[in-house]
Amino acid sequence: MVQELNRAVAETTVADIDRRADEAGADYEVGLESLSQFQLAWRKFRRHRLALLGLGILGTLVTVAIVGPLLAPFEFNTIPRPDVTVYEGRGPSLTHPFGETGGLQRDVLHLVVNGARTSLFIGFSSMLIGVTIGTLVGSVAGYAGGFLDNLLMRIVDVMLSLPILFVILVAARFFGGGNVMTIVIIFGVFSWMGISRLVRSLFLSIREREFVEAARAVGVRDRRIIFRHILPNAFSPIVVSASLIVAGNIIGEAFVSFLGFGVSPTSPTWGNILSNALTFIPLGNWWWPFFPGFAIILTVLAVNFVGDGLRDAFDPRSRA
Amino acid sequence: MTKYVVRRVAQAIPVLFGVTIITYLILALAPGGPESRFANNPRITNEVRERFLKAWGLDQPWPVQYCRWMGFCNPDVENPVVSDAPILDHVPNPAALLGPSGWPNFLPEPISGSSNGVLHGDFGFSVQSGQYVSNMIARAALPTFILAAFALVIWIGIAVLMGVYAAIHRYSFFDQAATVFAYVGFAMPTFWLGIMLIFIFAGPGLNILPAGGMTNTRLSPPFGSEAYWAYFGREPVEAVLDIGKHLILPVFTLVVVNIAGDSRFVRASMLEALNQDYVRTAKAKGLPGRAVTFKHALRNAMLPVLTNIGLEIPFLFTGAIVTETIFSWPGIGNLTIDATRNFDYPVLMGVLLISSTVVVLANLLADVAYAFVDPRIKY
Repeated sequence: MVQELNRAVAETTVADIDRRADEAGADYEVGLESLSQFQLAWRKFRRHRLALLGLGILGTLVTVAIVGPLLAPFEFNTIPRPDVTVYEGRGPSLTHPFGETGGLQRDVLHLVVNGARTSLFIGFSSMLIGVTIGTLVGSVAGYAGGFLDNLLMRIVDVMLSLPILFVILVAARFFGGGNVMTIVIIFGVFSWMGISRLVRSLFLSIREREFVEAARAVGVRDRRIIFRHILPNAFSPIVVSASLIVAGNIIGEAFVSFLGFGVSPTSPTWGNILSNALTFIPLGNWWWPFFPGFAIILTVLAVNFVGDGLRDAFDPRSRA
Repeated sequence: MTKYVVRRVAQAIPVLFGVTIITYLILALAPGGPESRFANNPRITNEVRERFLKAWGLDQPWPVQYCRWMGFCNPDVENPVVSDAPILDHVPNPAALLGPSGWPNFLPEPISGSSNGVLHGDFGFSVQSGQYVSNMIARAALPTFILAAFALVIWIGIAVLMGVYAAIHRYSFFDQAATVFAYVGFAMPTFWLGIMLIFIFAGPGLNILPAGGMTNTRLSPPFGSEAYWAYFGREPVEAVLDIGKHLILPVFTLVVVNIAGDSRFVRASMLEALNQDYVRTAKAKGLPGRAVTFKHALRNAMLPVLTNIGLEIPFLFTGAIVTETIFSWPGIGNLTIDATRNFDYPVLMGVLLISSTVVVLANLLADVAYAFVDPRIKY
């Protein structure tokens, strides 16, 4: 989502800004033309070097996740040498840059590239579910107030008091069945609470502003006020905390799958690739767990960089 | 102040009540249950299965199970459900709400005559092992506490030192390095760090530290058993050293992962304090820099840090689940994983309720402590 946003912003603004810069030399008055919120944000985001780096890493990872499995010489479910199992894996070499696993002798690079698909998919789509639920709950609570607000916020209190990781583990074990979509839904359903609190507090302050009052005075319906007038103004903090959810859910999914309660090994994720690796650690097969974990770190780092960049970009107090 | 505390405690009760409902619902809605371990056993006939379900009260609809688990309903009543009306199928029989003495069952034992249910402090038995859930949790709590306490003290200490130093020497090499470390530490999955540490220190190369467990099982009986405490009495030094050796890797893992966020937090808090007017005033008065930094700025910077620590304590207990699994530490985390694997509902409910209580209590303590330390806050 973050990426789409940035792409959209990039397409509409870069050309405009360049054109304006050219014209500014010719005609002084063009400088008065105002920039939209997103144009301003993108201008600031571009100066944030780490954020651009993060965006680059993330773009590369997504490309690898989409294209990688297509380029690989064999399918994920194909085991290269099904008749031979070995006691020990083999370390990184030219033909297998990330090494080979013990047992079925699978290429670790192949596993990691395939894992990227599921892991990134789970991270981003569970975030989308969480953000959607959180935004809806938060805007209803913040806009309606009164009894509904109280009820919803008490539910949030209860959910926040739960040891979420325990609950996700239990839910994944009992409902999951190794299915990717179920895991996505479980993570989504348990990651909306923070967002809903945030959105509610934003709504509480924005709904008192003059433009909302004006809209209400003209007789705009509640639904339109919520989605057209208030929500766009609450957009930036939501995006920033959404990036944190992506990072958290990627790590969380990896852990749940690592324990064997998450996605079944037939659809690889970085977590379930790791789960078999533990038994090979005493043999010294470091490359097996190292590379999937490294992929997780790289992804989370990139997402956090982008999140930081977005926060600075959207912050009206920071200068472009 | 007292009023505030009382109000907060009163608010915590419905929250915990909600926690029990949500967790019970998750278990109730899940397909399968404790009986699913018989699924692949051909020697378990349907009759045996039904006897098992009846013995554990699992043949009842979930509201009745919940009602009994909480201690609202008396499990000894023959027909716990009003069954003629299909819509009311799930409503507990009013007779079941009364204890043996005729008073409502949820009242304290001397009045209701019953000692069943969470409200009477009874968490039931483990379906898997048949032991008291409260005993199992109590036994697992000690290892978790040892691990969490060591990790907490070390990581808070280091995080405060790092954060303060980085704030005083802002943009120095140390500050930059600490920033990089924080980013990486924040992105690092705990279990992956644990695996890598096991490889380095317990793998074939160095092999100087144990890969997991809490005690060396070849030297001593399993931790927590009576035989272990007898051994502990005989050889206290050796036993403590043994635990210490097993503590190093899990504590190190927890410390590295948690320092990252906390040192950033301390740094930000310290920077804010250093920018305050009173710090400038103190400097203008000609106080030595050290006194200004440590007396004026640091003390004020520690306020938000204190709250943050309070909020982090529960995550030590639940977050340790990850570390405990990797290092097979016999604590709450491992207990939960085993219970999850075996569909051990009573144990799961017990663990979830107790850890939620810890979360709620820690939030409460953090708020109260903050109000206590900061005289500007009034209620």
